[in-house]
Amino acid sequence: MRTRHLPYLLILPALAYLLFFIGYPLLEALYLAFTKNGTFSLETVRRATSDPMFWKALKYTLAFAAVIVPLQLVLALILALAVNRAFRGKDLAIYVLVIPLTISDVAAGLIWYTMLSDHGFMNKLLMNLGIISEPIHFFGYQYRNMEFLAIVIAELWRATAIVFVIILAGLQMISREYLEAAEVFGAGYWTRLRRIVIPMLKPSIQSALIIRTLFAMQVFGVVWILAGRDIPVLAGEGFYQLTEIKDYGVASIYALTIALLSIVLGALYVKFLKAEYLEVRQ
Amino acid sequence: MRKIGGVLLATLLLAAVMVSGCIGGKEEAKVVWASTQLNPPEERAFVLEKLLPPFKDETGIDVEFVPLSYADLSTRLAGEMEAGKVTIDVIGDLHGGLDYFNSQGWLMDLSDKKLEGRTFIESFMKYATDKDGKIFYIPWMSATYVMVINKDAFKYLPAGLTEEDVIKGTEKWTYDALLEWAKNIYEQTGKKALGFPAGPKGLFHRFLHGYLYPSFTGYEAKNFDTPEAVKMWNYLKELWQYVNPTSTTWDSMADPLLQGEVLIAWDHTARIKNAIETKPDQFVVVPVPRGPKGRGFIVVLAGLAIPKNAPHPEEAWKLIDYLTRPEVQVEILKNVGFFPTVKEAADAVPEGPLKILANGVAAQSSTKDALIVMIPNLGEKGGEFSAIYREAFQRIVLQGEDPAKVTAELKPKLYGLFQEKGLEVP
Repeated sequence: MRTRHLPYLLILPALAYLLFFIGYPLLEALYLAFTKNGTFSLETVRRATSDPMFWKALKYTLAFAAVIVPLQLVLALILALAVNRAFRGKDLAIYVLVIPLTISDVAAGLIWYTMLSDHGFMNKLLMNLGIISEPIHFFGYQYRNMEFLAIVIAELWRATAIVFVIILAGLQMISREYLEAAEVFGAGYWTRLRRIVIPMLKPSIQSALIIRTLFAMQVFGVVWILAGRDIPVLAGEGFYQLTEIKDYGVASIYALTIALLSIVLGALYVKFLKAEYLEVRQ
Repeated sequence: MRKIGGVLLATLLLAAVMVSGCIGGKEEAKVVWASTQLNPPEERAFVLEKLLPPFKDETGIDVEFVPLSYADLSTRLAGEMEAGKVTIDVIGDLHGGLDYFNSQGWLMDLSDKKLEGRTFIESFMKYATDKDGKIFYIPWMSATYVMVINKDAFKYLPAGLTEEDVIKGTEKWTYDALLEWAKNIYEQTGKKALGFPAGPKGLFHRFLHGYLYPSFTGYEAKNFDTPEAVKMWNYLKELWQYVNPTSTTWDSMADPLLQGEVLIAWDHTARIKNAIETKPDQFVVVPVPRGPKGRGFIVVLAGLAIPKNAPHPEEAWKLIDYLTRPEVQVEILKNVGFFPTVKEAADAVPEGPLKILANGVAAQSSTKDALIVMIPNLGEKGGEFSAIYREAFQRIVLQGEDPAKVTAELKPKLYGLFQEKGLEVP
């Protein structure tokens, strides 16, 4: 076998996988969304977008991403900086911080539901401490703002760990020499953080942001458990259309919207968050 | 060497075919039972492992249970009828489906067949008989949606309403009384004690089209935007002040009842079974309240029919006979939570949680003002039908829009569904 064919051969299994598990469903979704009786039609698109729920779902999905992702980044950065030094029990601390990663989103939703419900742990604790006399209501259509808050809390708890892990890995790659050199020249902690650590972390931050933002477009389990359809999100509405209404076309539109958003946002990140490597900066 | 192996294999195969032919020589009947019911895996396991083996032991008739969706069943049946080669012996399906099959002339007349030792509930038999007096299916199982009351709630009954009124479903047990009651509890305990499964997978839309609408307007969909309907929506708006707001996230009421988050709840019998089994002393199952037009409630009725030209009609009838025996019906109730259709079975239910449920269901179906409603048979459009009622609820009750405007807007969509399917608006 000639060696120049080898790379193509090696990539073949991956390509087959992508075609079968991503390409085929994508084509099928496009077919469901844009045809009627076998010919091209925009009727399904009109049906999906004329439902106010579609726009609400789009709005809420983006709102969740806009609130949750920056918070997670800051939180993960603080945690990673705190852990990235020698102290006793460091390994244990990292393990504990990563535990939520092992829990599925539905389970996380259920955990927070029991914590925050009227008879839940939080309300009981606050009431026993005498801080409140009536339970704080978190769930139900008329408390949508509180539901939003509950979802943000649950998502922060559940998914900050992934950002934390990526950033911690990035931090550990920064050579101590840069920091020591900066110290010799009299740079304080903030200066070092701003001028050395953050710029060198940019590749890690970029990866973490892309992963988190894309996941945020698919947010589903936590929202479904905590707020049902009080707060619609794209993945939830797609699921609802598929399982309850049995409108496969509209469900496909939701799936395609998520895909489109992911592609656009991913491209924006790559374009505007060009990673800078200190070594190659002239 | 290879050749010998091949010859050996061929001989073996031939022998196997011969032997199996010999065994089947007696031409034992195998009844094909196609069913849209009992399809979930655990229910299917019950059918195969517990329900059918005693029948085979008794009669020597083998049954092939074929779980199908309604769409598949109806396509298959249509195909077989057209081709003139029927393979299905027994059909187990909901009333709506069987009604349609009968209207196509696909079902056998069972009027002259007799079943000993069982009395079918009259209203069910009425549904199984068409306008020509032909009995086209035998009522098999039923399910419904009821109210569950935590006994603590009886402490706050409004003036003029007694515990007995509620449990028996008398004239006084009305939707207005329910409102008074919920208000009473709220004023005395600060608790919004009423609960509905209005979450995304909950069945709250059934309460709207199968309970409130018929009780207030007399029809499920026909009077969708009439003044009575507007009155109904205004009533629901008022009631909603005392409904636990978390309702919009609940898919079933068993947990909220067990947690004590609500004291009065409405849901499907199968979805509250768990609460009653866990704390049988704490709950009673009661009929739903009545409205100005009567006591509307949904009965989900499944029946057994034999298609015309079925290959084994005699054996099929034996299976139907077996499945409607009181003791078999109790077995079905115990295992999958569907209620009997014969009166003798209702008495055979053993004391305990199931009895509590069965009593409530029986009390509801025997109320004098009962207004039995069937879920319309809209096939794949069923989801859209439910969605219309949910949308009306969302807009009127949760978002405060004008009921007259919203219902007038949604009515053409609702009527359109029935038109598309060629059905009368119920």
